[in-house]
Amino acid sequence: MNRKKKIDQIVRTAGLESQIGEAQTFGTMMRRMVRENKLAVISFGVIILFVLAAVFAPLLTPYTYDEMDLANRLAPPSAAHLLGTDEGGRDVFTRLLYGARVSLLIGIVPTLLSMAIGAALGILAGFAGGKTDTVIMRIADVMLAFPSILLAMVLMYMLGDGLINIFLTLSIVNWASVARVVRAETLRLKELEYVEAARVTGVSRSKILLRHILPNCIPTLIVLFTLNVPSSILTESGLSFLGLGVQPPAASWGLMVNQGRQYLYTAPWLSFAPCVAIMLTVLAFNFLGDGLRDVMDPHLQK
Amino acid sequence: MARTLLKRILQAIGVMLGVALILFIMLRIVPGNPVETLMGEHANQATVDRMTAELGLDQPILVQFFRYIGDAFRGEFGTSYSLGKPVSQLMAAAFGNTLKLTVAAVLFAWCLGIFCGVFAALRKDGIPDRLFMGFSLLGVSVPVFMVAMLLQYLFGYVLHWLPISGTDSWKGYILPAIALGWNSAGSIARLVRSTLLDVLQEDYIDTARAKGLGQMGVIWRHALRNTMLPVLTMMAMQFSGLLSGAVITETVFSINGIGRLAVQAISGRDIPLLQGTTLFATMVVIFGNLLADCLYSVLDPRIRKEAE
Amino acid sequence: MKKLTAILTALTLLLAFFVPAAFAEEEAGTMVTAVLYEISTMDVAHTTDNYLIPMNVFERLFESRPENGASKIENSLCTDYSVSEDGKTYNFTLKDGVVFSNGSALTASDVKYSFERLLKIADQNTDIPLEVVGGEAVMKGEADSLEGFTVTDDTHFSVTLNNANAGFVAELSAPAMSIVDAETMEQVKNFGVDPADTIGTGPYIVTEWVANDHYTLVYNPKYQGEEPSVKKLVVKVIPDANTQNLMYQNGELDLIDLKSMDTMIVENTYKTQYADKIVSTPDVGLTFIIMNENNQYLKDVNVRKAVGMAIDIDSIIKNIFNGNAKREYCLIPSGVWGHNNEQTSFPYDPDQARKLLQEAGYKDGDITFEFSMDSTTDSNTQLVYQFISQELKKIGINANIKAYDKASYLALRNSGEMDCFIARWGMDYNDPANIMFTFFGNAQNSALRSENYPNTEVMARVAAASAIVDDAEREKEYQALDEKIIVEDAAWVPMYSTLHLYCIGDRVQSFTPQWAGFTDFFATDVVMK
Repeated sequence: MNRKKKIDQIVRTAGLESQIGEAQTFGTMMRRMVRENKLAVISFGVIILFVLAAVFAPLLTPYTYDEMDLANRLAPPSAAHLLGTDEGGRDVFTRLLYGARVSLLIGIVPTLLSMAIGAALGILAGFAGGKTDTVIMRIADVMLAFPSILLAMVLMYMLGDGLINIFLTLSIVNWASVARVVRAETLRLKELEYVEAARVTGVSRSKILLRHILPNCIPTLIVLFTLNVPSSILTESGLSFLGLGVQPPAASWGLMVNQGRQYLYTAPWLSFAPCVAIMLTVLAFNFLGDGLRDVMDPHLQK
Repeated sequence: MARTLLKRILQAIGVMLGVALILFIMLRIVPGNPVETLMGEHANQATVDRMTAELGLDQPILVQFFRYIGDAFRGEFGTSYSLGKPVSQLMAAAFGNTLKLTVAAVLFAWCLGIFCGVFAALRKDGIPDRLFMGFSLLGVSVPVFMVAMLLQYLFGYVLHWLPISGTDSWKGYILPAIALGWNSAGSIARLVRSTLLDVLQEDYIDTARAKGLGQMGVIWRHALRNTMLPVLTMMAMQFSGLLSGAVITETVFSINGIGRLAVQAISGRDIPLLQGTTLFATMVVIFGNLLADCLYSVLDPRIRKEAE
Repeated sequence: MKKLTAILTALTLLLAFFVPAAFAEEEAGTMVTAVLYEISTMDVAHTTDNYLIPMNVFERLFESRPENGASKIENSLCTDYSVSEDGKTYNFTLKDGVVFSNGSALTASDVKYSFERLLKIADQNTDIPLEVVGGEAVMKGEADSLEGFTVTDDTHFSVTLNNANAGFVAELSAPAMSIVDAETMEQVKNFGVDPADTIGTGPYIVTEWVANDHYTLVYNPKYQGEEPSVKKLVVKVIPDANTQNLMYQNGELDLIDLKSMDTMIVENTYKTQYADKIVSTPDVGLTFIIMNENNQYLKDVNVRKAVGMAIDIDSIIKNIFNGNAKREYCLIPSGVWGHNNEQTSFPYDPDQARKLLQEAGYKDGDITFEFSMDSTTDSNTQLVYQFISQELKKIGINANIKAYDKASYLALRNSGEMDCFIARWGMDYNDPANIMFTFFGNAQNSALRSENYPNTEVMARVAAASAIVDDAEREKEYQALDEKIIVEDAAWVPMYSTLHLYCIGDRVQSFTPQWAGFTDFFATDVVMK
């Protein structure tokens, strides 16, 4: 729920952002982040590393993620198996690499989807106002009222398992909070002088939307992205824990933690390895998000 | 003030109806006749038809919806398919446990969070500060069930201090409450720290210091009082998250609560139970948020003034 | 700052002082155990598992008791019986002076009522009373009273069957045949749901059932038999095997069922630290693969045989079950009367399997079907699923594992449309009919298990086999059927039967498991220290 607090902070500080004017380009912001926030840069590096590992998984390991070796169950870490083997004799390191594919996809795809939906509806609500605004925001209120895991459970129950359904579920769970933030941002941008001026001079609504509102929402969206990815990964691990996530022998980090948990006391590497991977990813995205917010948020700059 | 409050209440009722509608639609889309699932191996068509009629599943969908809303208002949620008892009765038994668990978790999060936050603020940039803040970040990034299992292992299995599961006595709530409150404690600590750092720079603290109050007196009497409001707001906002966490925590510690009922409903394809528990949990969240709003406007003189 | 530190220290001390007292000793004679699943009812008319309460709160006319690795039938509520020459009519004598826990006396009409009740509710466990003359009519609602059941007086009655059945007395020992009180049943509303309404003659009374949490059984002072050592049994519902494991090691459980426990944990923890506490008994039953003969590929007997030959079952037994399982080649598993020691079904021979497929005209990857799994199944069986899928892949068959929640799994299986799955059958009573008739007795039974075995002639023989009065002849027929169905038709791949391990706690002196290795047990078979 840390995410919510951060979103609120963004909303709060968003109101102050207009003071710095629009002089700051994305490039200068990034340069400042590289200069001032080493932690964010390291985090970015960690994320890239994970992505590369996921993409090139087959090149990094001689094993496949689902090949069992029953004679070699729960083998401790060794030279042949860097992180040991799991209950089916599968190489844990290999599964970690392939699991990165699934987990990062689960982090990124639904987040992009929910941001696309949320941003579209948020901008629409903020820009159109009136009844449209009321309807969209009331639906968002309703979605936000559900405890997220319960909503995800009901959706998974409704849709059945499978990766696509996990994407859909997580998108539906997350879009409302995005819509809320983007709407607030749109409302603020709408009041800015130059947008006002454009409107008075007869620039069409769609042009204002595309030229002025949408581009200015992007920094907010980037920050939201870095905060929503870890929350999606954590939600999926929760679903996997309840048996509603990815199904074996496929691998996701959440599933691996869950599968390994009964061996926590006899073969701890099974759970710890994916758990550390989740932690690092979540932390990296959080730090990167913090870093991005710092350079995009004048209130905290000084 | 009264008008703002009324508006909020009406809004909350609207959201509640929306939640009920969305939930109803979602659970009706699921393919398959729940009665056949319910009857199991020896179902014959006559019995299935009779049961379908008894449960009102042959009525038009709109009639079903209004009946279900009406029933929900009277606290009726039908009979659980998998547990064979009225859902309301199951939930009544479970809610007490969930409530105890959440309250205990909130208390824990509050105590630990404020303690660490104050400590960290006083030693800003010192070792305790870095340690606590790093720890709180760690708490946020580890899945809840992992925290829960490590606690079971350490305090139940290795140290034999606390029971591993069950709620026979109050001791059974300690570990679940810590697992559930862990996350919030981290956020509270960070919030308290940052708020306190701001407040400590205010003039009246200096005044208080000048009047000769000791360091501790200053903090407790003035600073902490001022951090209460943001913490309270955050707790209210985290309520929904706490219930989410309770689903996992209750499963790990085998606590018969609302969350575990919902999990059971899923594996038993038990629609009345799933509908009942989800609806109920969401109502609790909405009600909690409403209550927090009211408390907030009562406690914060600035908001009260604005509203007037 | 000092003050703060002082408060912290005080708090820590306080905690350290109170907390170690977490474990209050249970009173003597109280036994605590755990189960994985919540029960849905205490009434055998509505369940075919969850027999713990029926077994301990009710009694049957006979009981099956373990004896030297097999079982024997003992009188329970019955003191004596005789069979007519044609093997169809049984005359029973009831024990005198037996009362239900509410004081109502047990009479022959209660037994009749219990039979008829199963048929009138017509939900679960109707097979046995259906054998009685007129059973069909009662189940269809055409008759109120069971024609073949004659009550002579309070303690004497006779039962006439449609067909002779040498296994009938064994069947009467199944938990399904629990005897209830006719008078009580007329008065109570929530039999099987409300503990106060669930009245039997057994050694225990249910005193509470807290849904999702626990249920409690206490000794019934009106019980006809000896007073048991366990005076109170608390059964906790702990849905997680891992938590049960920790609870046992923490001394919170007096008995743990290791059946669903991961075999590696059994090996690494229980067999090393608690070796002297382990109690074991063979699971009299069978784990096997069912292949749906309505499936376009699996209808081909060569494909089914290839499946059987492709799987290294010995490796499953050695590596997944660490030797705690036994290879089975027959439909009638070892430990059951009529089991054939000589029969061997499919030798492990992937090359031969591959050849069979080629001869049948299939290329690599041609054959694809769903390999359905109940998502709540234990981790060992999940591993078996994954292993089999991998073995089949090696001969070019794609058996794609798909997990369903329990209810959907059953619904799909009962619809007759499940392609392929691993099934397990535990014997309810020691007679081949129990497993063979259930799966191959008639087309409905076979469809209900998604087999769709097409040979009606064989099924007619299965149905008729129980009527053979001569034991040797009957055994011969069952073994011939076994060979036909398994070796010739390859309807199933029989795999293994497991050794059921339990572990007792420090407070328990001895424990005797149920004869067939049920998870459910008789609390009278536990002796506390």
